[in-house]
Amino acid sequence: MAVDITLLFRASVKTVKTRNKALGVAVGGGVDGSRDELFRRSPRPKGDFSSRAREVISHIGKLRDFLLEHRKDYINAYSHIMSEYGKMTDTERDQIDQDAQTFMRTCSEAIQQLRAQAHKEIHSQQVKEHRSAVLDFIEDYLKRVCKLYSEQRAIRVKRVVDKKRLSKLEPEPNTKTKESMFSEKVSQNPSKDSEEKPITEEYPEKIPAEAQPELGSWGDGRGEDELSPEEIQMFEQENQRLIGEMNSLFDEVRQIEGKVVEISRLQEIFTEKVLQQEAEIDSIHQLVVGATENIKEGNEDIREDSKIRLQD
Amino acid sequence: MVGVKMAAAAAASIRERQTVALKRMLNFNVPHVKNSTGEPVWKVLIYDRFGQDIISPLLSVKELRDMGITLHLLLHSDRDPIPDVPAVYFVMPSEENIDRMCQDLRNQLYESYYLNFISAISRSKLEDIANAALAASAVAQVAKVFDQYLNFITLEDDMFVLCNQNKELVSYRAINRPDITDTEMETVMDTIVDSLFCFFVTLGAVPIIRCSRGTAAEMVAVKLDKKLRENLRDARNSLFTGDTLGAGQFSFQRPLLVLVDRNIDLATPLHHTWTYQALVHDVLDFHLNRVNLEESSGVENSPAGARPKRKNKKSYDLTPVDKFWQKHKGSPFPEVAESVQQELESYRAQEDEVKRLKSIMGLEGEDEGAISMLSDNTAKLTSAVSSLPELLEKKRLIDLHTNVATAVLEHIKARKLDVYFEYEEKIMSKTTLDKSLLDIISDPDAGTPEDKMRLFLIYYISAQQAPSEADLEQYKKALTDAGCNLNPLQYIKQWKAFAKMASAPASYGNTTTKSMGLLSRVMNTGSQFVMEGVKNLVLKQQNLPVTRILDNLMEMKSNPETDDYRYFDPKMLRGNDSSVPRNKNPFQEAIVFVVGGGNYIEYQNLVDYIKALI
Repeated sequence: MAVDITLLFRASVKTVKTRNKALGVAVGGGVDGSRDELFRRSPRPKGDFSSRAREVISHIGKLRDFLLEHRKDYINAYSHIMSEYGKMTDTERDQIDQDAQTFMRTCSEAIQQLRAQAHKEIHSQQVKEHRSAVLDFIEDYLKRVCKLYSEQRAIRVKRVVDKKRLSKLEPEPNTKTKESMFSEKVSQNPSKDSEEKPITEEYPEKIPAEAQPELGSWGDGRGEDELSPEEIQMFEQENQRLIGEMNSLFDEVRQIEGKVVEISRLQEIFTEKVLQQEAEIDSIHQLVVGATENIKEGNEDIREDSKIRLQD
Repeated sequence: MVGVKMAAAAAASIRERQTVALKRMLNFNVPHVKNSTGEPVWKVLIYDRFGQDIISPLLSVKELRDMGITLHLLLHSDRDPIPDVPAVYFVMPSEENIDRMCQDLRNQLYESYYLNFISAISRSKLEDIANAALAASAVAQVAKVFDQYLNFITLEDDMFVLCNQNKELVSYRAINRPDITDTEMETVMDTIVDSLFCFFVTLGAVPIIRCSRGTAAEMVAVKLDKKLRENLRDARNSLFTGDTLGAGQFSFQRPLLVLVDRNIDLATPLHHTWTYQALVHDVLDFHLNRVNLEESSGVENSPAGARPKRKNKKSYDLTPVDKFWQKHKGSPFPEVAESVQQELESYRAQEDEVKRLKSIMGLEGEDEGAISMLSDNTAKLTSAVSSLPELLEKKRLIDLHTNVATAVLEHIKARKLDVYFEYEEKIMSKTTLDKSLLDIISDPDAGTPEDKMRLFLIYYISAQQAPSEADLEQYKKALTDAGCNLNPLQYIKQWKAFAKMASAPASYGNTTTKSMGLLSRVMNTGSQFVMEGVKNLVLKQQNLPVTRILDNLMEMKSNPETDDYRYFDPKMLRGNDSSVPRNKNPFQEAIVFVVGGGNYIEYQNLVDYIKALI
């Protein structure tokens, strides 16, 4: 277990100070403030670099705080029914998205600038290494904060998609129940017809058209829009078929949606990998070009050499 | 100097503890907490060679980076001033180091200084630093000063060594040479005790010490007991107070420290090895869990006039993350070869899976029934892509172990190490020998002069009676012809005479090796590991002397070997000499330390002993 001897050290400092005073040795300016400046012969450049690096870090920190602050509201799906305290409209969310994006862009640009500048300035190898490592850290920090943002955005998008899906499901069970009601009742209200419009749009027109010729044959005081039992059955069957079709279409669409999401994820991974490999491929390209040239020169040398040999 | 820590229960291993301590130190001496949205802090790490040896088996460069270290530099190197960066120092409190640190302070290299001393610094040296800090008006910059008590190197979860840099100082030779002076001995003992003390501080437990009488081990025990006692008495500064035990360490049992002197068993360190880790250590260049190989690139005949192929130097780290290594480091070598082969096959199968996906993907664009295939394949693709890094890592490990094992195999074949191993096992277990020792020594193909000397020494040590003068002369001549230096024999002669006076020579029990036929199965499957001509030897486990001693002491068995071992309990208020153990219960945890150097064979033997108990 490590032992903190900082206090011991400070005590030693005091001891040494008193001892030096006693011995009459000049104290090295530790006490006197003005002497400090004199002693610092090499004024340590407080570093453009490090102060700007810290600026960038504080910016990123602000972004992070901002995102975290509004995170709860942002994700909150039921804000439209909650009180004003936690409300956040979609436009506000879009605003946050945009702001975050511009902010991230400026931050990464700042990092790039710093990097370029660090390379230009002539410094020792160690300082260069140190600076590039520092910039790597800052980039990593930015990436982590961006992850925060993309996570909450993904959640939001997912909720929107889910919501849409849910809202699509709504009419289905309604139409189904209404179907059964329709098939059971013999005398129907024309208003029911109109509710089936999304599925059976053409039928409402046919129904009055077809109902009229029937009037003559039945004519018992039923309404104009009544249909014969066969027709009812026919329509029923047709409806069933259509519903079946729509359902299977819907299932397929859902499957495809899922697959597309997976594919997009895969694409993300692939783009990342491709970008990573870009640098390597570039260098390989360079090497290959260099190698071809070397080989060409080598061939020429051999040719000349063999010519000379033949002449001998 | 090797110490092995055995524990039946899985308390935090010494490796974890040391790593945690290092990480805390690197985090400015504040416990390290992972925060995914934390701001980056950067720092520079300065160490000396001791610090480097301690850190390198535990933290990789990447892990250092993760802790925010941008540069790691040796103390005694040219270092440029880097403004605005805190520097963490991890050095031994030696004269040169202190001087260099004072120089750094004067040159104002860094913004703030966090000084960490590997073992405790003396008051006077602390004042030296204070002086320099004053002179450079840098006192405020010295942010923290710590004594880390980490002066030992942990190589495995349960194995540590004292040091790597100046291991000559605490070696067997240093302790046992006839011309050693008292002061030199004191220095050696102090070094050993300091490291052991640091070990127990990091472990957070005060052990009960047992050692044999009349040996260097006894000297170490006395000093260690004294040091622990002094520290415990000093209530204010005791390092063993409650919070050092750490959360979750509820073992009320104290560990047993067995201090053994190397002289009880000189044959085992000379013995040729047959398990993977021991072989790598014996045959290749293996230090601090890193093995350095020289690969000759290509064995094909090179066209006349071409430049000789350069040998590539490769080095590999054998770490706890390497699952194959963890599983097989104690296995006999033929088993290792087989396992590498198996791993390679399973890897190839997985690779083929991924390649098959590629061809399926190619097809599905033309096939109209694509939608149904698609659903299955995207899932497969996703799983393939996510498992790719795992696959690559596996490949890397397989390559690594193929190279290492091939290198070991080459040595075995060239030096006929399997013959040596078998023969030595037979000698040590006193079974009849089928070949004459003289034959092996005179065989020009079998082994280096060193191998032959080792074999002969083992024979000499294990023999009940010394060979006759005539025989001895014959052997000596054969050894000299083979190019051996006869000095070791002189020493062993003396040692044996002395050891005979002290006690009966250690017996090794009935270790037999079963030879499973010359051509192993591996050869038949046409693998790279053509072990033709190499015997497929399997070890039958028996306990080595060190393991037997541990067994006796831990289980409180009565045995003439260990009955008169001394007993030290630093926590007891009085009486530092008692042969009567107060504690009658068997121990749960033990640390075995060999004064004069342990070896991987004994380590493996102890590990196997523990496995057999569980």
